Amino acid sequence: MAKARPIPGLAAEEPYATAAAKIVAVRAREVADHSQGVLEISDVERLHDMRVATRRLRAALEIFEPCFPKRQFKEALREVKAIADALGERRDRDVTIGALEDFSSGLSAPDRPGIASLADQIRIEQADANARIEPFVGAQRLAALSGRLSELVVEAEALAGSEAA
Amino acid sequence: MKARRVKKLDPRGSLADNAARIVGVRLEEMRSFAAAALEPERTKDQHDMRIAAKRLRYVLEATEFCFGRTAVTARRRARDLQGLLGELHDCDVMLPRVERHLADLRNVDAAAVRKRAGDSADLEPRLAARAAHRTSYRGLEILLVYLQARRRLLFDRFREFWAEQEQAGTWDRLERSMARRVREARERRRAEKLAERARRELEAAEREEREAAERAANAAAELQAARRITRPQPASPRDIGHH
Repeated sequence: MAKARPIPGLAAEEPYATAAAKIVAVRAREVADHSQGVLEISDVERLHDMRVATRRLRAALEIFEPCFPKRQFKEALREVKAIADALGERRDRDVTIGALEDFSSGLSAPDRPGIASLADQIRIEQADANARIEPFVGAQRLAALSGRLSELVVEAEALAGSEAA
Repeated sequence: MKARRVKKLDPRGSLADNAARIVGVRLEEMRSFAAAALEPERTKDQHDMRIAAKRLRYVLEATEFCFGRTAVTARRRARDLQGLLGELHDCDVMLPRVERHLADLRNVDAAAVRKRAGDSADLEPRLAARAAHRTSYRGLEILLVYLQARRRLLFDRFREFWAEQEQAGTWDRLERSMARRVREARERRRAEKLAERARRELEAAEREEREAAERAANAAAELQAARRITRPQPASPRDIGHH
């Protein structure tokens, strides 16, 4: 699992809205950076990294909700949740298949066919889940999300600036 | 499970003051599930507690640097708890899934065996013994045993883990630390309000003092003018000569 990137210049006593802008900006970049190769079923860690990055972004949005305009916040959060759900559906299958393979390796050969049949069924679901992720990780959709998140960052910076004045 | 709303968040306040409020609520939320979740059959409460632990973990991940070691330890333990309850939840999801799969295979086999029997008066056992999925049942039954046993083991670990953390005071320390921060922020805000009120009162008093001094100066000038008018005029030398 990818470690969360540090937030440059973050301080405990700085305004909540300033921290919101800094944290959301970094977490949004992390999601975009981890979106490469997530549809690759042979390397399940890529999807896992993007899922974790999405979860961190979602958490940051929820923590700093009062620093953002309501409508823009809701729209951005809805999109982030939809991505997280789609990634989660495939991740669940990736994990289950891995667990079944581990379990099967501990059984004698005659006991394995049932586990293999279950794993095959879950592989079909894995492919379906993968197909449902595809629209979310297209360049245009990710750019649109990135734009929305940048607007939130600007709004939080403006709020912090107006309060400091 | 919907997250509890955190009241009185203030974008003008500091990150640490607001984070303390959020952590306090998320911690309380997680602990509120403990009594029910510690019952083995309460799978819904165990799942909700996992979600609550995850929320606490993520808010601490973003803000623990504001609070020091107590928060870092609590974040690690919340992560451990989330992991443990996650494994438990996986068993709860997987058990019915395997049972369904077994039932599906049985239904397919039963239908095929019945078809093979054709118009026979009764079913030959050897037809069932040659069912297509006959080699699948044992592995899946072993998997069910494994999942049930693993669930029990994980639940025991969860119970021990929770007792250990309560005994170690992990959550109590975090709760006290957040409550102290919220209290200090409240006192600071109250002191700032008092200082602001005192400043405004001082300004008003100074303004009144200035206005009173102005009024006094005006009155003194008017008094002087009035005296000049009412003072008797000295007689001129011509008037004196007539007499």
